[in-house]
This record gives sequence, structure tokens and C-alpha cells, in this order.
Amino acid sequence: MRRFTKKELAKYNGQGGTATYVAYKGRVYDVSQSFLWQHGKHQVLHTAGKDLTDSLAEAPHGPELLEKFPVVGILEDS
Amino acid sequence: MAKVTREMVEKAGVNLDQLVELLVKNAAAELTTYYYYTILRVNLIGLEGEGIKEIAETARIEDRNHFEALVPRIYELGGKLPEDMKAFHDSSACPPASLPQDPRDIQAMLRVLVEAERCAVRGYTHLCNLTAGKDHRTYDLSQAILNEEIEHESWFSEFLGEGPSGHFLRRGETSPFVSKFLR
Repeated sequence: MRRFTKKELAKYNGQGGTATYVAYKGRVYDVSQSFLWQHGKHQVLHTAGKDLTDSLAEAPHGPELLEKFPVVGILEDS
Repeated sequence: MAKVTREMVEKAGVNLDQLVELLVKNAAAELTTYYYYTILRVNLIGLEGEGIKEIAETARIEDRNHFEALVPRIYELGGKLPEDMKAFHDSSACPPASLPQDPRDIQAMLRVLVEAERCAVRGYTHLCNLTAGKDHRTYDLSQAILNEEIEHESWFSEFLGEGPSGHFLRRGETSPFVSKFLR
């Protein structure tokens, strides 16, 4: 499985036609197909290309909504 | 726009631009859900479908009421609705509650309905969390809507056999919590 640094992950921010990836607990998820991640933004407050482990702890939903999406890699420096 | 209202909310530490954007996204979710629920409701046919139709209709009308109740608050806070209806649709805080492939599959219909309500419950919980103790009017409105969305979720959840809702369908007027914002 592909390994991402935080710098590499940041390239997949959903802007300018790039794929939309986010990381959670060391796994990188491809959320490009999610209606709720259009243009790399989620509910105004969150942007793609980042490790959202801390943010998800405060979100009004658990990881189960993220885990529906394909895992495309591992975040190295998480 | 209500100038002092904006000042008070900002002074309390709320990011106004983010809050307004979230309110617009939730208003979009309400109006689009009202639209998609119209399609779901007309397709709730047959013995099983007819049994759900009345509650789906109540949820549909209440979602429209939520849209109506949110709009004044958006403008009070200096926001506005997008002029482009398609852009408004695509900015929704919840995915489209689209008709399932087989509308006679009542379980699939109920899953669409319950997922739409669950998205709304998450959204208004988030809005309540952001505004609690800071923006009293938006909090009051979000909490009123949240109360109704929770009931909608519990109705559809009960039909899915997930457990008793503890509620009965509305008697009389719709929107018992939000109606005070519609007068």
C-alpha cells in the first residue's frame, strides 16, 4: 500500500481536479466520490489533504462515515 | 442585515462567515430534502408504502418549514442565498435523498429517509455546539430544528425495526418546535 508523508497528502486537497484524500488514524482515505467533500471542503470547517484524526474526535459523527470510503494508503508521520 | 446582532455574535467568538456558510448549507439541505421527499412520498405506494406516506409527508413539510425558518437568520447575520439554484443544491450540507433504484423496496426507501434525517441531526447538533452560549438566536433556532429532526429520525428508524421511537405521529399542527419562528 502506498505510503504518504503529510506533505504528499497535502497535494490531494480536491482543488483543481486533484483527488480528495484525508487521513484518519494513520490510514489515507479517498473521499473524492463523497457529496460532502466537494471541492475538497467538508461542512465549511474541514479541508482535504490533511490528517483529520483530531478533528474527527470533535465531529458530530464517528469514523464509520469515513470508513465507507476506500483506503488508498498509509500516513507515515502520523 | 442586523448590525448589532453581527457584532454581538462576533464578540462572543463565533466565526460569522463560517456560521453563515453553514446556515446556507443547512438551508440548502432542507429545501433539497423537501424536493426529494416529494418524489419519495409519491412513490410510497402499495400496502407498505401507504403506511409510511403520512409520516414522510410530515417530515417533508417540516423540512420546508426549516428552510423558511433559517432564511431570515441568514440575512440577519449578513448572509444571503445563492442566486443560482443549482449552486445552492450542490452546496447542501446533506447528500440528495434520491429515490432508490427499486421504489417498491420499502427498506431501501426507509434507509434513504433515515439517512437524510441522520445527516440533519448531525448538522444541527454541530450548529448547536458552535453557537451554545454565544449566539442565542441561532442556537434557539438550531435547537428547535434539531428537536424535529430527531423525531423524524426516530420515526423512520422505528419503521426499519431498529427499536421503538417513543413517539407517535403528529396530532394537529406540524413543526411544534419551529413554528414560533414562522409566525
